Amino acid sequence: MSERLRNVVTIGLLVVMATVLVVLVATSPTDTDRVQAIGERIKCPVCQGESIANSPSPMARDMMGLVAERVADGGSDEAIVDELLASYSGAVLLDPPARGWTLLLWIAPLVALGAGAGVILWWRRHPVEPAPVTASDEVTGRRRLVPLLVLVGAFAGIVVVAGFFLQERAGPATGAADLAGEELDDVSNETMEAVIAANLDDPEVDGMRLALAERYYQAGDYRSAFPHYLEVAESDDATESQAVAALIRLGWMAWDGNAEVDAAVGLFDQALAIDAGSATARYLKAQVLWCGAAAYEQAAGLFEAVLSDPELPEESRDLVEADLAAVNSGASCT
Amino acid sequence: MNRGIRWVGYGIALAAVVFAVVLASRFGTDPGLVDSPLLGQPAPMFELPPLEGGETISLGDLEGEIVVVNFFASWCLQCRNEHADLTSTADAFADQGVTLVQIAYQESPPASLQYLEVAGRSPSALYLADPGSRTAIAYGVFGIPETFFIDEEGTVVGKIIGESDALTLGATIDAIKRGESPGQNVTGDTQQAPDG
Repeated sequence: MSERLRNVVTIGLLVVMATVLVVLVATSPTDTDRVQAIGERIKCPVCQGESIANSPSPMARDMMGLVAERVADGGSDEAIVDELLASYSGAVLLDPPARGWTLLLWIAPLVALGAGAGVILWWRRHPVEPAPVTASDEVTGRRRLVPLLVLVGAFAGIVVVAGFFLQERAGPATGAADLAGEELDDVSNETMEAVIAANLDDPEVDGMRLALAERYYQAGDYRSAFPHYLEVAESDDATESQAVAALIRLGWMAWDGNAEVDAAVGLFDQALAIDAGSATARYLKAQVLWCGAAAYEQAAGLFEAVLSDPELPEESRDLVEADLAAVNSGASCT
Repeated sequence: MNRGIRWVGYGIALAAVVFAVVLASRFGTDPGLVDSPLLGQPAPMFELPPLEGGETISLGDLEGEIVVVNFFASWCLQCRNEHADLTSTADAFADQGVTLVQIAYQESPPASLQYLEVAGRSPSALYLADPGSRTAIAYGVFGIPETFFIDEEGTVVGKIIGESDALTLGATIDAIKRGESPGQNVTGDTQQAPDG
């Protein structure tokens, strides 16, 4: 090779290398290109099948803003996509990731293509000879039906299972509250307070109020129980039995908590005005009159009225009889 | 041999049908209903300004508390429906180490403030703006209302998609206080921004 030719080749090589370099530099993705490319991989979460790069929605614009911010900070494409995946899961990718179960989506078409090509090749190499018509053709036809029926049966089964699956996913609200039917054993007092406060106009709220007040009452927390019993006692929506139960508790708390005899008796009387046969109201009124006002005669009369109730349980009868005997003997209340 | 290849054909057809049905079962399924990948993970941190402006408030400020993060907007009907329940829950649990954080989603602070003025507030709750939707994106919000529950350790342990009520909210908090992880609960539809 002459020197001149060597020089020409050298210069030519340099020109080619320079051109390649220029092309590489010119075509290397800018930050804007990267943001656009990443945005085109991410599905807009508030749109139907649109990428955040192509959606005009404010949420998509905000997500593009985040991507641009991360690119400017030097984040890699995968790190940026992974950040969104950590928040939204794979549901935010327009193309499913080629890993895990979604790898099947990428592989399945290739497998189907390969299988189809295999079957065609096999058929070409093993052409089927037309079989002579025989008397057993009818039987063979029926036999051929079997796999078809199996296929149809399997398809029907799959559809039923898929339908069930879909129904489960699109099922009714799982957390809807039902004030009347909800099992309240595991529900805290705070939750009941919140439910009551949020449903003041619901006629069924009196039931929950009474249940909550009863919890406070049983725990000896009269201060918390009082307002709920009072609301039930004054509620137009409360049933008679709810109102009577609330008035009886209010009466007893007035006596037991504050030693207010007149207030307690007044509340028991209100309960008896609604339900004249309330043995509990009568019995507790007798207790208050006996213990708080030393009104022995009135108390004895009320105890006797309670005992006249044929439906009074035996264990209660024993208790009332003991109280009546004590009152009649002039004993002080214990 | 013919019979063998026929069965192979049937097998391939059956596999194709199964594949198609599995794919078809996903049509119409709201992607927002997938289980949040945040469940069981440390809650994404945020540092956001109150709607009224002023000093930012971060999730770190609420360390050791159960935090209920609710994304809302005045244009969201379900948010309006659940607002009284969120407020009463925040009030009821105020002295129980539970804080409600309501974050405005795709809405200007003045619009959110105007809405809260009418709908009411809990004195114990925090009402924050989310410039650029960074926190909504970090929590993977698809639509609103969405409500996240963060336990005392700072882990996301529950999520309600759709309208919630006081009983659902309270029962979820009760479960967290018992050390349980309530997980995801879909109570209804969510809404997108009107121009979204």
